[in-house]
Amino acid sequence: MKRIFIDPTKCDGCKNCSLACMEAHRQDGGTGIYTLDLQDPSNQSRNRILTDGKGGYNPIFCRHCDIPDCAGACMSGALQKNMDNGLVEYDAEKCAACYMCVMSCRYGVPAISPDRKRVIKCDFCAHLEEGPACVRACPKKAIEVREV
Amino acid sequence: MNSCTGCLSRNTCQSADKPMEDYIRQLPLETAHHRVEGQSTKCGFGLQGVCCRLCANGPCRVTPEAPKGICGANADTIVARNFLRAVAAGSGCYIHVVENTARQLKNTGLHKDKIRSEKALNHLAELLGVTGTDKYDLCVKVADAVLSDLYRPEYEPMELVEKLAYAPRVKRWKELGIMPGGAKGEVFCNVVKTSTNLSSDPVEMLISCLRLGISTGLYGLQLTNLLNDVVLGDPEIRSAPVGMNVIDPDYINILITGHQHSLFTYIQDRLLEEDVVAKAKAAGAKGFKLVGCTCVGQDLQLRGAHYTEIFDGHAGNNYISEAVLSCGAIDAVLSEFNCTLPGIEPICEELKIKQICLDVVAKKANADLIPFDYETRQADGDRIIDEVIGAYKARRGNVPMNLFTSHGNRNTLTGVSEGSLKAFLGGSWKPLIDLIVSGKIKGLAGVVGCSSVAYGHDTLTAALTKELIARDILVLTAGCSSGGLENIGLMTPEAADLAGPNLKAVCKQLGVPPVLNFGPCLAIGRLEIVATEIARELGVDLPQLPLVISAAQWLEEQALADGAFALALGLPLHLGVPPFITGSSLVTKVLTEDMTGLTGGRVIIDPDGKSAADKLEAVIEEKRKALNI
Repeated sequence: MKRIFIDPTKCDGCKNCSLACMEAHRQDGGTGIYTLDLQDPSNQSRNRILTDGKGGYNPIFCRHCDIPDCAGACMSGALQKNMDNGLVEYDAEKCAACYMCVMSCRYGVPAISPDRKRVIKCDFCAHLEEGPACVRACPKKAIEVREV
Repeated sequence: MNSCTGCLSRNTCQSADKPMEDYIRQLPLETAHHRVEGQSTKCGFGLQGVCCRLCANGPCRVTPEAPKGICGANADTIVARNFLRAVAAGSGCYIHVVENTARQLKNTGLHKDKIRSEKALNHLAELLGVTGTDKYDLCVKVADAVLSDLYRPEYEPMELVEKLAYAPRVKRWKELGIMPGGAKGEVFCNVVKTSTNLSSDPVEMLISCLRLGISTGLYGLQLTNLLNDVVLGDPEIRSAPVGMNVIDPDYINILITGHQHSLFTYIQDRLLEEDVVAKAKAAGAKGFKLVGCTCVGQDLQLRGAHYTEIFDGHAGNNYISEAVLSCGAIDAVLSEFNCTLPGIEPICEELKIKQICLDVVAKKANADLIPFDYETRQADGDRIIDEVIGAYKARRGNVPMNLFTSHGNRNTLTGVSEGSLKAFLGGSWKPLIDLIVSGKIKGLAGVVGCSSVAYGHDTLTAALTKELIARDILVLTAGCSSGGLENIGLMTPEAADLAGPNLKAVCKQLGVPPVLNFGPCLAIGRLEIVATEIARELGVDLPQLPLVISAAQWLEEQALADGAFALALGLPLHLGVPPFITGSSLVTKVLTEDMTGLTGGRVIIDPDGKSAADKLEAVIEEKRKALNI
């Protein structure tokens, strides 16, 4: 099983991870950073970089927790811990948009979608063979995928 | 050699020049080709032009959650401001070059120094409507006419624009209100415009780019060539060696880099004088040689017919300068402008190569600065020569040689200019026009501008050029694109075999390659003269010609100013990567679509050689159809 590990001391706040996430999940059919619409709310990133208030950064990434707050709070069963690959997976079809996950996650990862009909959450770039796009885009190696 | 090379990346970037790619990969010294990998993660906000650091509230970046900067600037303002700033800086570079070139001509006249082409002087004087009492006075008057235009304030129109530009273009520029004021003033005014909380109007800023494009193109490019022709001699078509094989280790070799050929006039003549050659011989060398690199080398190559003794040939473009220095046989670098890469510094340090800068604007960290001054040029020249001889003595025998004698070729066609090409065609453009009308040459493509490495060294330039000539489109080059294409043999007569059947037949008949080498990026101004003269003969405006421009591997701000010139001329302009504009849909739309309605030109962005060639060919076909040919 793989997880993203974060070393906040290495983060420079460049947000390349956020752009990589947006590019990996864009729905307009385009490819390549040049055509990614940075003003389109539907291109919201699944990760975010917050300042720590002390001159450093807090990269907010889904940890696909062993005991996930979000899945525990999800009444519709849209969020489930997959025991085979260890990922906390999200099924938008089942989502009732109650936002209990948004309120429960101790890291603040799930976000309300712009149309307010679902949530936005890391899927570990399941559609990409190379693994999470954010990790590959980080120039500082502040985030990395490790086997656990 | 004491440097540890164990950590040096072997993942060098690809090059269109495969032997060079192999040579660079095995070098024990780091080059730009090695550094590409480490810089491969690019900032997406930067690529899209939506990072603003004009004030202490920043850097602000545009995201879906934060679509405006703290000041309220939206993506359109941020992108246009960044773009105009780059174009203004690029314009400033070329205006600096033409200013020094005009000053050089003026001093040549004042000191009654050597004039290599009176024909060029008389032509230029006639063009500008200037008269003088003798040839020296004429030099002064011509230079003064140029300088006084450059020094006008931005609110006063430059007087020579209408004399230099094609009348239908001037008419359109007046309608659009983009006739430029004093060229230096334009740079100043537009830099002010882009400062913190000044202009926020993206359209006005894009229009300003066109105005800068006109002053850059007519003065920085066109006039620099014509002024240099007087002092340095007219280009003559000839066959010459190119690539690293031009370097002869038996000589004291000086690599020249930059864009201001006239600053070398004195020293390149002095290096041939008996007493200086005697000094070289006393040091154990056969004499001195200049080795060309970057645009100043291209310019020397263009005029190579006048410099056969001192100049052995052009080694290559900006991104092989590090490799050229690594060969061990270069003893000094004389630089006066870009593209003198900072990456050459540790190589010069390691190989004990003396670095001397002739212009403070291009001062390299570990170089001596001996700014060119006409009054003290003799003493300064001798000092430079002594420094170079000192370096030769200190380093030869103590640094390893890594020559690359098989690189390049010996029969590249060079010396093509608006004058030499017309003369070659029998003194008239009619033969070329006839070939275009008959379809034997489908159209013309100017493949110009720089060389870059981030996505491959000259790879797109070469791929596109091969695609274009295969479609019977004659390619004309100016800039570091020339250096890359000549080293891979596309400017040898044998390259005709790579052309489409019609163009191939034309090339075989005339004994010329399908890619014609106009030399440095400054010679984009010569391409403009060729295009204008053809348009005039046909009685059409420039946007109607079956002519496209590609700055496929544009590198720097100067290229963006050149690009703005192409747009002002109304020409379709291909770029391999966007100039940091795509974060604004408005700016992108104006440049790639709406510009057609303003000047007739537009930007075409395509990173792929084949599909870019498809698009450019379609434009040429469309223009042919409109002309009924």
